[in-house]
Amino acid sequence: MDDTATVDLVRELVLRLLSSGGRSSTASNNSDAAVRYALRLLSSRMSPSVIPDELSLVESIKRRLAVSGRSSSALGFADLHSKLSARAPLLNRWALLYLLNSLSLDRHRPESSPAPGLPFLPLHLPHPPRTSASSIAGGMAGGGVFLVAKDPENIREIALREYADLFMEDNEVSESALVRDVLYACQGIDGRYVRFDRSTDGYDMPESLKVPKPTRSIVRRLCELGWLFRKVRGYISEGIVDRQFDIGTVGQAFCSSLQDELVDYYKLLTVLTSQSANPIPSAGSDSGGGAGNYLSLRRLAVWLAEPTVRMRLMAVLVDVCGELRGGAMAGAIHSHAQHGNPLVQEFMGRLLRRVCSPLFEMVRIWVLEGELEDVFAEFFILSQPVKAESLWREGYQIQSSMLPSFISPLLAQRILRTGKSINFLRVCCEDNGWVEASGEAVAHVGATTQRGGLGYGDTNALEALVVEAAKRIDRHLMDVIHKRYRFKDHCLAIKRYLLLGQGDFVKYLMDIVGPELSEPANTISSFQLAGLLETAIRASNAQYDDREILDRLKVRMMEHGDGDRGWDVFSLEYDARVPLDTVFTALNMKRYLKIFNFLWKLKRVEHALTGLWKTVKPNYINSCIFANESFGVKMQFVSVLRRLQVLWNEMNHFVTNFQYYIMFEVLEVSWAHFSDGMNSSKDLDDLLAAHDKYLYSILEKSLLGEGSQSINKTLFVLFDHILRFRSLADRWFEHIHELQHRRNKSKSKSKGELGKVGSLIDGGRKALLQFSRDFFGKMSEELDKVAKEYSAALHDFISQLPLQQHIDLKFLLFRLDFTEYYSRVSSNK
Amino acid sequence: MEATGGQIAKETLELAFQISNMLETGLDRHTLSLLIALIDRGINPEPLSAVVRELSSPPSRTQPPSAFSSSAKP
Repeated sequence: MDDTATVDLVRELVLRLLSSGGRSSTASNNSDAAVRYALRLLSSRMSPSVIPDELSLVESIKRRLAVSGRSSSALGFADLHSKLSARAPLLNRWALLYLLNSLSLDRHRPESSPAPGLPFLPLHLPHPPRTSASSIAGGMAGGGVFLVAKDPENIREIALREYADLFMEDNEVSESALVRDVLYACQGIDGRYVRFDRSTDGYDMPESLKVPKPTRSIVRRLCELGWLFRKVRGYISEGIVDRQFDIGTVGQAFCSSLQDELVDYYKLLTVLTSQSANPIPSAGSDSGGGAGNYLSLRRLAVWLAEPTVRMRLMAVLVDVCGELRGGAMAGAIHSHAQHGNPLVQEFMGRLLRRVCSPLFEMVRIWVLEGELEDVFAEFFILSQPVKAESLWREGYQIQSSMLPSFISPLLAQRILRTGKSINFLRVCCEDNGWVEASGEAVAHVGATTQRGGLGYGDTNALEALVVEAAKRIDRHLMDVIHKRYRFKDHCLAIKRYLLLGQGDFVKYLMDIVGPELSEPANTISSFQLAGLLETAIRASNAQYDDREILDRLKVRMMEHGDGDRGWDVFSLEYDARVPLDTVFTALNMKRYLKIFNFLWKLKRVEHALTGLWKTVKPNYINSCIFANESFGVKMQFVSVLRRLQVLWNEMNHFVTNFQYYIMFEVLEVSWAHFSDGMNSSKDLDDLLAAHDKYLYSILEKSLLGEGSQSINKTLFVLFDHILRFRSLADRWFEHIHELQHRRNKSKSKSKGELGKVGSLIDGGRKALLQFSRDFFGKMSEELDKVAKEYSAALHDFISQLPLQQHIDLKFLLFRLDFTEYYSRVSSNK
Repeated sequence: MEATGGQIAKETLELAFQISNMLETGLDRHTLSLLIALIDRGINPEPLSAVVRELSSPPSRTQPPSAFSSSAKP
C-alpha cells in the first residue's frame, strides 16, 4: 500500500471494527495481524473489476428496495442520492454506494447459504486473473450489475473463445488488411488483395483468396466507390490535362469544381486511413472501451455511405457531359439538378454556380457592351462577318444547341437583340450614347458591372438585368433612328415620290417626260431624264422639300430589250444609306420599284384618258364639226362620236375607281397602319416587321402578289386596250380635223371663186359623202371591235376579282360593279 | 473556504449516514467517516467491503484468527 496515512486509517478502521464487533479488547498482535490481513486484502485488487457506473448501481439499489417492499425507502434513497450528488460532486459516489450496498446485502444474506467466495478469499490472495474472474463471478452474484453476473459457470466465456478460434481459422486475410485495401481502392490504387479487374470493369478480390462470402460481398460493395472515383478522376484528367483546348471554359469550370469536391473526399479518406491503423478487436475479446477508434469493414461501410452518394452523382454528371460543351453542358447538368433531396440540391447548386459562371459572364458582357468573348464557341450567340447593311438581319444568330435549358428562348431573343442593338449602334450609327444607357440599366438593377456579379440560381437577376438593358438600349436606338436619321421623314418621302403621293409633281413629271418616253428605249438618255426630273421638282410643291431628301431621288433606267418603249423602262429610285438600308434593303427597294412601275402605268393610263377627253368631250367645237354638211354625214359622225363617248365613259369609270381604290384604300390605309406601327414599335425588330407588313399589304392589295398573277395579266391587258383606244381615237380625230380643215379650205376657196368650181363642190360633196361613209364605217367597225375586246377583258377581270383572297379586293369589286351591271350582263350571256 | 469545506464534509457524512441507515448496513458515523476517507484515497471498495465484513462478523467464524495469521505470513 501506498502511504502511511492510508495505513493509519486502515489500522484505525480495523481497531474500530474489532472493538465494535463485540469482541473483547484484543491483544495488539491480534489487531496487528488483523491490520496486516486487511492490508493484504486491500492490495489484492487495486482497481474495480466492474465498470463503475453510478447510475445503474443507483437503479439496482432502488429496485432492490422497491422489490423488498420498502418503496418509500426507495424514494427516500433517490432523494438522498440527488442531495449527495449536489453536495459532493467530487466524492467517489459509486465506490461509496457500492460499499454500502454490498454491506447491506451481506447483512441480509441468510446465514445458511454458504458464501463460497468469502472464506476462500484469504487463501486465494495471489491468484491468476482468470480464476479471479470466476470467483468474482461467484462472489458478486447478487450485487454485480453487469457483464459476468449471470454466469456462474462461465459458459459464455468459453463459447466466445471457441468462436474466436474458428473465426481466425476461416479468414486467411485479416480484416484490417482488407480495410486498408478497400481504402486504397477508393483512391483508385490497387491493393494487395483487391485489384481492378479490367475484364469485369470492377474491383474484386481473386477467387483463390479464402475469404468468407459476406466479407467478399461487403468488399465488393465498398469498391463501387472506387469504380466511381476512377471514372470521375479519368474525366477530370482528360479534361484538364489532355483535351485542354477542346473542352472550353465551361468544361474547365466543371472539372475544377469536381476537383474541389474530390478534395473533401481525400480528406475523409485520410482520416479513415489513420483510423485503420488502430487494431480491430478480435471477435472474442472484450470490446470494453478504450481501444481507440478502430475501423472495421462495417464501420467503413457506414463512413463511406454519404461519399458514395456524392460520387455517384458526380459520375452520372460525367457520363451526361461526356461530349458536350458550353451551354449544352450547362443545360444537361441543370436538368439533373431538379431533385428533391436537399443534399443533392445543395451539391448541384454549388457545382452549377461554378459551371455557369463563364456563361453568365459572357451574357453580361454581351448585354452591356456588345462584345462576344467566345474563344471556344460555347455561347449561344454566333456572329458572322457581314457587310454593314445586313448586320442587323444576319450578323448575329442564336445557336439553339448551345442554349442552356434554364434560359428561356424569349430571354435568349432579348439578349440577342440587346447585343445586336449595341453593335448596330456602334458600327452603323457611329453612336456611343449606348454606354450611358447600359450603365443606367446596371445601376437600376443593382448588379455590378464587374465580373462574377451574376451566378446560377440568379436567373431572375439575369432576366431583370437583360430586360432593363434591352429596354434602355432599344429606346436609345429608336431615338437615334428617329431623330438622327429621320426615319419617318424618309419613309414619307418614299411614299410621296416612289408611291406617287405628290400629285402635282407626278402630273408635271408625266407631262414633261411623256413625249420623251414614247421613243424607243435605247434612244433615251438618262441625263436628259434627270434634267427633266429636276424641272418637274422645281415646278411643283416638291421644291420646298428638304434638299437632303431630294438629293436621294434619282431616275433609273432599267435594262431594256429591243422594241421597248421608254415607258417600260423608266423608274425613279430613292437612295437610302447606312443605317437606314437595314430597313430599305435591296429586296425591299425592288418591291418598291415594282409598285412604282405599276402605279406609273396606272397613272399613264389615266393621263391618256384625260387627254382624250379634251378631244372628245361634247362641247361646241365638236358639235361644229360637219355642222354644215349634209345630214347623213353629220348623223354618222354624231353617232360614232356618241359611241366613242360612251366607251370612254366606261373606261373612265373603271380607271377612276381603280385608281381611287389604289390611292386611298391601299396606299393611305397601309400608311396609316404603318405609322401606328412605327410609333408603337419599341425596337428595331418591331420596326422592320412593321415595314415589311406595310409593303406586303400594298403588294397584295394592288394585285401584285404571287397569288394574283393571272388577274394582274388581265389588268395589264385592260390597260393596253385603253391605251390603244386612246391612240386610235387620237388618229381618228386627227383625220376628222384634217378633213374638216380641208373642207373649210375648199369651202372658202369655193366661196371665192363662185362659178368656176361649182363642179368641184358638187364633186366634192359626193366624194365627201362617200369618203365619210367609208371612213365612219371603218371607224365604227373598229370602235365596235375595241369596245367588244374591252368589255370582254373587263368582264374577265371582274369575274376573277372575287377569287382573290384579300378582303379589300371585295371593296374594289363593289366599287366597280355596285349596280351589278357587269355581273348581270355576264350571267345573261 | 476551509470552513465551507468542513461544512460540506459534515453534510456529506450526514447524507451518507442516512443512506447507510436506509440500507441497513449497521455502520456508525465514525466507521463510515473512516471508510469515506479510505475511498477518497482511491481504495477499491470491493476488498474494503470484504474487510469490513470479515472483521465485523461475529466470532462464530470457523477460521480462528490464529489459523490465518500463520498463513498470512509471506
